[in-house]
Amino acid sequence: MNVASEAGNSNGKGRLEGTHLLVRAGEYACALPLASVRRVVRALTVHPLPGASAELEGLAEFGGEPMPVLNLGRLVHAPAGPNPTYPVTVVVWVGPVEAREMLGLACDAALEVVHVPGGSVVAGDGGFLLGEAPVAGEVVRVLNLEALGRTG
Amino acid sequence: MARGYLLLRRGGGLWGIANTAVDGLARQGADYRITIGGSGGGDLVADEILGVVEELRVWPLAPVVRRFWPQPAAGLAVHGREPVVMVDPGRLPAALSVEGSGEGDRPDERRENHE
Repeated sequence: MNVASEAGNSNGKGRLEGTHLLVRAGEYACALPLASVRRVVRALTVHPLPGASAELEGLAEFGGEPMPVLNLGRLVHAPAGPNPTYPVTVVVWVGPVEAREMLGLACDAALEVVHVPGGSVVAGDGGFLLGEAPVAGEVVRVLNLEALGRTG
Repeated sequence: MARGYLLLRRGGGLWGIANTAVDGLARQGADYRITIGGSGGGDLVADEILGVVEELRVWPLAPVVRRFWPQPAAGLAVHGREPVVMVDPGRLPAALSVEGSGEGDRPDERRENHE
């Protein structure tokens, strides 16, 4: 699933342009900025790093490059869902544009492309968790992937 | 030793080290002992020696990796379709050390569910 190209086609008449990819991570729905999403693939083979924190599942190979894979549910402290096998890896760019890094996010599911108005996001920490917003009757966590790649 | 990189496996993961940093390699029981020279020298332990590759493209360790895995490493690479952690000969990782190599090894947790 090439999300970037599909998003370009979804801008039809009478529809709001999609801004985020909605994914399921445990019991939470999270909105990832579409511009940062490179691809959605079935779970990649992950090689654990000894001594890594729980958020870091390990390393995978993607497109001939080594890529860290983080568990999105653990990143957002989501309670595990009924079937926590994380069958989907969302490949994203993190960090500032001039120094962006490729990263995999292990998720339960990629749901849909949605429109999240900037003004609807509230109560975030100003960092990775930009805030929360109502989307189709559900409160979703809106994430700032640029913040995830920052040092410090 | 010749140029290139020695590839080894420990705890299910693949590790690489510049051949020029390796002073010796010996079998010790079921494991292998690799002697590293230089100022940060010491011994490393491996479950398996895969061999030497002449070339590896090494990527620097990304900040996001350092954030969640605060261990010394010279970078990351790919061999075949498997990621490789490059060892910094001046700062040997605990996961490969003789004393601490059992810590955090999770070889059975590898996920291969993308068939």
